Amino acid sequence: MAMVFGWPMLRYSWLSMHASSVLTGLEPVSNQGANWIRLLEDARFWQDAVQTLRFAALSVGLEIVLALAMALLLDQSWRGRGVVRALSLLPWALPTTMMALGWRWIFNTPYGPLEQMAQSAGLSPLNLLSNPDWTWLATVIADVWKTTPFITLLLLAGLQTIPDDLYSAFRLEGGKTRQALTAITLPLLTPYILIGILFRTAQAAGVFDLIQVLTGGGPAGSTESIAQYAYLNAMRFLDFGYSATVMLAGFVLLSLVIFTAAVLLQISGLLRPLKS
Amino acid sequence: MLKLNTLGKRYGSRWILRDLNLEVLTGECVALLGPSGCGKSTALRLIAGLEHPDEGGIELEGRSLDGIPAERRRIGMVFQSYALFPHLSVRDNLDLGLKIRGMAPAKRREQIDAVLSTVQLVNEADRRPEQLSGGQRQRVALGRALLRNPSVYLLDEPMSNLDAQLRDELRPELRRLILQGPQPVLYVTHDQQEAMALADRIAVLRNGRIEQIGTPQELYLKPATRFVAGFIGRPQINWLKKTNGACIGIRPEHLRPDENGDRWRLIGREWLGANQLLLMEGAAGQLQMLCSADFQPGEHLGVSWSPKDEHHFDPISEKRLSRS
Repeated sequence: MAMVFGWPMLRYSWLSMHASSVLTGLEPVSNQGANWIRLLEDARFWQDAVQTLRFAALSVGLEIVLALAMALLLDQSWRGRGVVRALSLLPWALPTTMMALGWRWIFNTPYGPLEQMAQSAGLSPLNLLSNPDWTWLATVIADVWKTTPFITLLLLAGLQTIPDDLYSAFRLEGGKTRQALTAITLPLLTPYILIGILFRTAQAAGVFDLIQVLTGGGPAGSTESIAQYAYLNAMRFLDFGYSATVMLAGFVLLSLVIFTAAVLLQISGLLRPLKS
Repeated sequence: MLKLNTLGKRYGSRWILRDLNLEVLTGECVALLGPSGCGKSTALRLIAGLEHPDEGGIELEGRSLDGIPAERRRIGMVFQSYALFPHLSVRDNLDLGLKIRGMAPAKRREQIDAVLSTVQLVNEADRRPEQLSGGQRQRVALGRALLRNPSVYLLDEPMSNLDAQLRDELRPELRRLILQGPQPVLYVTHDQQEAMALADRIAVLRNGRIEQIGTPQELYLKPATRFVAGFIGRPQINWLKKTNGACIGIRPEHLRPDENGDRWRLIGREWLGANQLLLMEGAAGQLQMLCSADFQPGEHLGVSWSPKDEHHFDPISEKRLSRS
């Protein structure tokens, strides 16, 4: 931890207080916090922050709802469940870059299957990858497709910790199957749902590869994430001092949200599965 | 009165339960006793309406339960796991069913308070199940069954999650709360001592079929099959081989030291307090004897018994052979 997390963090903190770019011959020169002042005034950074949060919130929200439905379905016993269970994990097992390329083709205007379908349905072109107002939807769809299986698996494990006797007892007390969902399943699944949200939010807020391949952050920066902006500053603009500042700011924003949430949930006891 | 008529249940082609005929009278407690996997819990789930029989039917108070859904059967069930809702307090656990059944809040409160004091959990009303001891959890489960005001009680291994001392403490409690009431009680257990102590009659189940129904005394004194003879009574009955081909069982408590009896070598012993269990070896195999006199391992001693205490069984059908 000290080597792969602690040391880089210290190094970034130090670097964020220096100018280190082509102008300084890549030598770090102290600039008394000018990077941070630049960050506060950098509209592109704040737009990326909003876009990253929007991406994370929408993806994770949709994933939880879909995964819950999937997990409830896969928890029932029916013919062919084993095959569906195995298949449903496939998107998660695929490398992100491969599946992002796949989605880029699906969304392609005018040759992708989605546009073809829209065309034969008589709709005007969707332009999901070229209309800056809607590109966020393309990134969310691709991310939901890829990571819903992960949450499904987590929730399925949670469902299997709920003893069948509870449902039997609930039935004997006069409860309907529909009511059992809100009376038993959801309350007992809460710790697993919350852990899913925490894990996935942390991951989605650092998104890089999916967007890099699918849209490259565009068009017009409409899907750019904080991680991409940091990458861009370092690798294209060769401004390592400012890249470190962006990276660190993103990290601080994210950890404020995740860490506070995790601590609060831990204290409230909501993360602990209940025993009967 | 609860009546089971040739009740049967199968999973695929395998019968879990077959030809179950049983009556539990008003105020009576019948134990379904058998090793795990004998179908006894399945019988309870069929009566509760949680599963449907493939054969036969169930009558409660003279009416068939056929087609009546679980929630309308007025069953007071206690699960082996207690099946308490872990996210609800004791009070809310008890309240859930009353609320679902649409009882007015004031009446609910009154009934729950009464039951809480009956099961002596007034001070625990706001705790969650995981904050309770095993015995307290069991009493919540009993309380929930009481609140159902049922026509029949079904108890599924209600004590098997408790340690031996707690079981002894809870037996009188169980009698006071449930067994002394007018409702028929069907009590599932694999513990023959528990069945003997609590039930008026015992039905011994094996591989989904009843081996014998009778009072605890009848089962002990006149076991109908070799299986029942081995299942009822601790320490277990001794089996001797005799030349006429019959299987002969003799209980350890019916043996006595006798200078003139067959000679056996003592190979081990267990102190039980009031007496000791001697493990002996001889020409006819091994023998366990309950005895109060002190013997040392390695000693040879004579053992005899009265022929009237012998149980004879057919070695093929395993049925009891009557001896005149």
